[in-house]
Amino acid sequence: MRRRVLAAICFVALLAPALGAATSSQLKPFGRGSWQEILRAHAGRPTIVHFWGVTCGPCKVELPLLGQFMKEHGAIDVVTISADLVPNLPAAARSMLEKAGLGSAENWIFDDGFVERLRFEIDPAWQGEIPRTILISRSGDTTTIEGSAEMADIQKWFEQQHAAAR
Amino acid sequence: MIEMTNRGRKAMLRTGLLATLAFALWHTAAHAQMSHHQHASEAACEDVVLRCASKVTPAFAPDGTLWLAWMAGGQVSVARSNDAGRSFSTPVQVTKGKLNLDWGPDARPQIVVEKNGGIALAFSLFRDKAFNGQVLATKSADGGKSFAEPKPITSNNESQRFVALGLDADGSVFAAWIDKRNRVPAQQSGRKYEGAGLFFASSKDGSATYTEAQLASDNTCECCRLGLAFAGPGRPVVVFRNIFEGGVRDHAIMTFGDPQTPGEVRRVSKDDWQIAACPHHGPSLSISAVGAYHVTWYTNGKARKGLFYARSQDEGRTFSEPLPVGRADRNPTRPYVLAGPRGTTMVWKEFDGEKTTVNAMTSHDDGKSWSKPVAIATTADTSDHPLLVTDGQKTFLSWMTKAEGYRLLPIGDES
Repeated sequence: MRRRVLAAICFVALLAPALGAATSSQLKPFGRGSWQEILRAHAGRPTIVHFWGVTCGPCKVELPLLGQFMKEHGAIDVVTISADLVPNLPAAARSMLEKAGLGSAENWIFDDGFVERLRFEIDPAWQGEIPRTILISRSGDTTTIEGSAEMADIQKWFEQQHAAAR
Repeated sequence: MIEMTNRGRKAMLRTGLLATLAFALWHTAAHAQMSHHQHASEAACEDVVLRCASKVTPAFAPDGTLWLAWMAGGQVSVARSNDAGRSFSTPVQVTKGKLNLDWGPDARPQIVVEKNGGIALAFSLFRDKAFNGQVLATKSADGGKSFAEPKPITSNNESQRFVALGLDADGSVFAAWIDKRNRVPAQQSGRKYEGAGLFFASSKDGSATYTEAQLASDNTCECCRLGLAFAGPGRPVVVFRNIFEGGVRDHAIMTFGDPQTPGEVRRVSKDDWQIAACPHHGPSLSISAVGAYHVTWYTNGKARKGLFYARSQDEGRTFSEPLPVGRADRNPTRPYVLAGPRGTTMVWKEFDGEKTTVNAMTSHDDGKSWSKPVAIATTADTSDHPLLVTDGQKTFLSWMTKAEGYRLLPIGDES
């Protein structure tokens, strides 16, 4: 009996991390090395990476516009990264993403209190102001838009990417 | 003397070993559980003690006692040190209950110690799920042993954040903060409204009650700390990130005629940073005994990018050419300036990809020339902004780091 209980405890203990991973799959924890992981995963595909945060006023305006853009442009990879400095609130972030129509995008959330190091890996000159958008072309060239992006500019970039692919 | 038999020793050794093993197992499990959370957190631990603080604000009392106000474990606490930060009194917790303190990078509790030993405190919290802020103020009338229940600094319910407190020469407390109350009426009347208003009030009873909040300047940046100092008795001066024509978030300064009368908005520098974003990176201001204004700030404008310093000798009407601060390749951030008793000091952070360093430089001619920057402290994990504080004799760096805890370092003349 005791063995069975022990076995059950071990089983649950082994299962626990997997369960945790399953529930957090909507928001991927962004840590050291995540930026390179994103670049590798989207290599060769035009990708919009959008940095935002739940307390950032301009982000609240821009997020639904990006959600609409994603809906209208299925061929583009959209990655969002909640880069609020701390503590980062997964539930609030998830809720805002869903409301903005970005629930099905590839969504990340800063998961390291040492935000300077995370930002440095992305862009050593970035001091954390959000929103911020990085457009990554098929060839890997990046264009950084500081502050709120104009969807017209993103549309223009998208069309250039589309034309280049032909 | 206690005599112990061999049997007794063995039994004790066994118990000790078991206890050690149990502790080790518990510790490993607890550590594994905590490490993920702590890794993601900016605080070293979750308790309300100083070691767990994410933001620490210092103030010296006229008698040389160092007072700290900090945010830890979701509460604001206060303690004093009579030995320059080596040891602290039992902390007094100012707030109670479940609070969502404003964790914005530039938000921090404000503390002012009056000549009569009274302590004024102010801080902000998020009062709803939409992250609308509220500024609360309180005071201690018994030398920091207890604090009155914190009360809103204004009866208005629109979002308020980034309060700054200053002690005027007559003992009154001046408060300035960022306030969004003008946003709603503007939007209702179909007008575009950017940013938030710079509001102010003052207290004659040590921060127990404040005068009616007044607008100093509208459409300022909504997410940056303010710099506050006094140009003389009854002459508060506030430096802030303004929103100039075309959404340009450059810095402005205002010298009040008296604590009820705002002055004109004067531009510190034309950096031309047009951005619709939250820079989360406010300025710092100090005024020397002879009235020189020292301002330091961050910009990413078309005209210049990075940290800068400028001085004014005419109450902010004109400023010197901005002086770049820090190594551009080390991402300099969070500048702070203090005109102290033996010179003016500036500190800021630099990051090399692995560790953060606080650099300092000093001026002995009221900001006209500066010493070479010197690294004075370092950490390999997250850290609070570096702050400067003086006891009237020396200037100290006050810095909270997750890895090392709180430190107060005297800054030498040669730095």
